[in-house]
Amino acid sequence: MLKRRDFPMLGYGVGLRRQHYSHVLETRPSVDWFEVISENFMVAGGRALEVLEGVRASYPIAMHGVSLSIGSTDPLNRDYLRQLRDLARRFEPAWISDHLCWTGVGGRNLHDLIPLPYTDEAMRHVVARIREVQDILERPLLIENVSSYMAFADSTMTEWEFISTIADEADCGILLDLNNIFVSAFNHRFDANAYIDAVPAERVVQYHLAGHSDHGTHLLDTHDHPICDAVWALYERAARRFGAVSAMVEWDDNIPEFAELARIADRARTTFETATHTANREPLKKTGKPALPADHRA
Amino acid sequence: MSHLKKLESLLYRLITAPSGVAEGLAAERALDAGGLDDIVLGDERLSAEARVDIYANMYFYRLLDALKEDFPATLAVLGDDNFHNLVTGYLLEYPPTEPSLYYCGQHLAAYLRDHPVREGAPFAADLATVERAVVEVFHGPDAAALDPDSMRAIAPADWPALKLGIQPSAQILALDWRVSELLRAVEERRDWTPADRGSHRILVWRRDTRVLYRELDQAEADALAAVSRGATFAEICEVVAVDGGDQDPVAAMNRMLARWLADGLLVRG
Repeated sequence: MLKRRDFPMLGYGVGLRRQHYSHVLETRPSVDWFEVISENFMVAGGRALEVLEGVRASYPIAMHGVSLSIGSTDPLNRDYLRQLRDLARRFEPAWISDHLCWTGVGGRNLHDLIPLPYTDEAMRHVVARIREVQDILERPLLIENVSSYMAFADSTMTEWEFISTIADEADCGILLDLNNIFVSAFNHRFDANAYIDAVPAERVVQYHLAGHSDHGTHLLDTHDHPICDAVWALYERAARRFGAVSAMVEWDDNIPEFAELARIADRARTTFETATHTANREPLKKTGKPALPADHRA
Repeated sequence: MSHLKKLESLLYRLITAPSGVAEGLAAERALDAGGLDDIVLGDERLSAEARVDIYANMYFYRLLDALKEDFPATLAVLGDDNFHNLVTGYLLEYPPTEPSLYYCGQHLAAYLRDHPVREGAPFAADLATVERAVVEVFHGPDAAALDPDSMRAIAPADWPALKLGIQPSAQILALDWRVSELLRAVEERRDWTPADRGSHRILVWRRDTRVLYRELDQAEADALAAVSRGATFAEICEVVAVDGGDQDPVAAMNRMLARWLADGLLVRG
């Protein structure tokens, strides 16, 4: 059975974004690790891959996808999966993650994360596909809870029951996006704390921390604002329940200077230490996988 | 068809409905009497339709933003409203099929060629062709460029049969409008003027990680075409001699070779 301790504790990282490529390569800022969007590097050549080579030489990375479409009723896209596997063989990420959702059907791609109904049918469908994906990728997958703006009348279980059952049945990990929990809890009026308290602790391998925008009637997962206090509170709750979990700051629009992202990642570290100290836990012992020297990779 | 597949197909149609979710729903004759409310949960804050509409808006505007980023000069010459209308039609004709947004603009230039919006800017399709090539070259395959030292190391006797190649990411485009100056003006945030008509070829290539482009004269275009199809150095020289007219073919060949090497364009054939 998959356990968090099978994965390295990477510490507190940020998402690698184009605006910061030069800064990261030139200054090698003090941050524990980077999460990269897999699809941005599934290209033949050029600057993106050169940048990733440079970053990987100095930092651990995790690969985070947006187009796996694990919940789609289309056949799995095997070309995509082969490219993803090849990218992972080349850059040796600590893990690969994608979203518990679907992004297209009928051979078309919506380039958006569309929620699934929380039904036995959808659960069985996704479990079978995750198992197949893990075989192709030759490694376990982490699935991330998405922000959602619609829920389905046919759902027979809560979102946390859905993701927990899938993770257990498919034997995969969970990337817990605390902002997504907060956004969906507001949009569908469920208890965010109940979500944190219910997911299987040993399967939570990574957190996302991000901001959202408030549209009055609903919250939108825009990744363009600071992380709000309520999401920090969820993070503290998660820290007390799960212990040391790799965390990452996700910011995709109105992106601030890198130093600001690094400061937020550092806040995640001190928040964890404070929260777990209160709970009399052991202080965080960093066991991050060291970056491979460049000449160890093809 | 499974229940899940029916649901995903319905949501896909509603999210991509060209006139919005409401009109999309009106076309769904197979829905039960309860309509969308039987499928998507609404409440006093947001109806079921309004919730699907959030996804419909995000679908269109995410792709519009991606295309604006890939085609800044085409956007500049068409203007926001025309570009918006162009993209609305484009996404109906060429809905995204690939996992990466990188591909979403791959047919825009072809679509623009027959679109009424180009009447005010007949050079726009050629402009979009070059902008798309810039994106493709940026992400194209890498290859080590030949440098002057490696060329000098080739024995004189080996030159006639020597085969060269050009960077695998490079593209040579045949255009009817001279759009490169317009594109450069937009890139450099200068005022632009409409492109003049004129058939020519343009080379788009990458030196290290930077994408460059320049117009080719007939002799250089023909010579590069010969390089690309695997001609020997002797055959390339013949092309240059035929095209060069009164020019000294040896001097012309030397000039081209020096420029291609400086451009980082040549690779081993």
